[in-house]
Amino acid sequence: MTDAQLVAQAQNGDLPAFEELVKKYQREIYGLACRMVSDPEEAKDLAQQAFMQAFIHIRSFRQDAQFRTWLFRIAINQCYNFLKNRKKFGDPVNCDEVVLVGEGDSPEEELVTQDERRRVYAALEKLPPKQQAVLTLKVEQGLSYQEISEVLGGTPGAARVNYCQALKTLKKNMKSEEEDEVAMRTSPAVATRVPRG
Amino acid sequence: MKWQCALLQRWLPEYPEGDLPAFWKGRLKAHLDRCPACRAEQAALREVVEAIASAPKGDPGPEFWTDFSREMHLKLVRAAQAGQMAPARSVWWGRIPYLVGAPALAALLLWVAVGYLNPERPGLTPPPQVAKSAAPAVTAPPAAIAKQESATPARKLAAAPQAPAELGESQNFVNVARNSGDEAFPEEDLDDLDSTLAGMTTQEREAFLKKLSQHEKDGSCLTRYSAISSA
Repeated sequence: MTDAQLVAQAQNGDLPAFEELVKKYQREIYGLACRMVSDPEEAKDLAQQAFMQAFIHIRSFRQDAQFRTWLFRIAINQCYNFLKNRKKFGDPVNCDEVVLVGEGDSPEEELVTQDERRRVYAALEKLPPKQQAVLTLKVEQGLSYQEISEVLGGTPGAARVNYCQALKTLKKNMKSEEEDEVAMRTSPAVATRVPRG
Repeated sequence: MKWQCALLQRWLPEYPEGDLPAFWKGRLKAHLDRCPACRAEQAALREVVEAIASAPKGDPGPEFWTDFSREMHLKLVRAAQAGQMAPARSVWWGRIPYLVGAPALAALLLWVAVGYLNPERPGLTPPPQVAKSAAPAVTAPPAAIAKQESATPARKLAAAPQAPAELGESQNFVNVARNSGDEAFPEEDLDDLDSTLAGMTTQEREAFLKKLSQHEKDGSCLTRYSAISSA
């Protein structure tokens, strides 16, 4: 059954149809929230909130846009609100909380891979929320610039520029993360005094 | 960095297999062939993209998704039972400001356009001279008006719009003016008849009034009178 049919049924109050949509998109929405807030528990709550918002307002959804992009927009707004509050009330995030899936053959390789990933996560976390969203939507969800502009607002051209800018900033952040790690390895005394993150 | 590099690097993340117009693809290819800095930048950006792609989000496992689905189901059932689903918003609801505003704006523009194209339209700009000359007739007592009527019959014409009850003979006078005469009567003479008559001798005034009464077929006198009376 297509999204449009499921949405039409859900708009008529068919709960199983909406649950079908939830099952279809729960991984993507959870992944997006995970990337945005770097906290699996919060990401789960945010994903559920996003689905609840979508359910409550499903009748006002017109089939002009894709349900998927509409859902992304809701989820990203939830994440923005969360990040705004976190910034306001200062809840520190430990990026070690993110569950990492081991794919390396040996423990050494896995350790290196995990270090590499941690570096990426830390660098991603330093990006502004909009750039995080653009990167996630483009690289992980594979949305086009047109779809990204529908999710985040603005034009496809602006989305492209934002994506390019995000990549450049991420490159800088990753470099500085690498330099920090090298510095901490070379001077363990500093590493004990200055906690990471 | 050259300006050309800065311009082309905006498209670098899409090169070579991305969503890139053919024009930019050609330019980028030519530029990358001869610019090592941009080649390095492209390689670095590609590394970043690969790093993101190779650092997948943690898969929480099947238990997590079972819990997730169960929790979602409970929340959705609760919301549905509580009737939290917002009603469908009509398509027309969002268009109400346009539906109301557009006709109102059109009417306003029409009114302004008509006012400008036809400045003599009653209600928009009353002739100031008529208002000035009509004012004493309104405030004057009936006895004074009667005296004025007997003294200067032409004054009645100017006073007529503001005091239609006291018209009497002046109405007949205007009718005579409408029904007599062959020549066109100058309109500006009627605007301030008092001042015109004041500058004449008795003989001239009599001749003028006689001429006025002889204009039977001339409509200008009546037209002006109508404009004055409606104002």
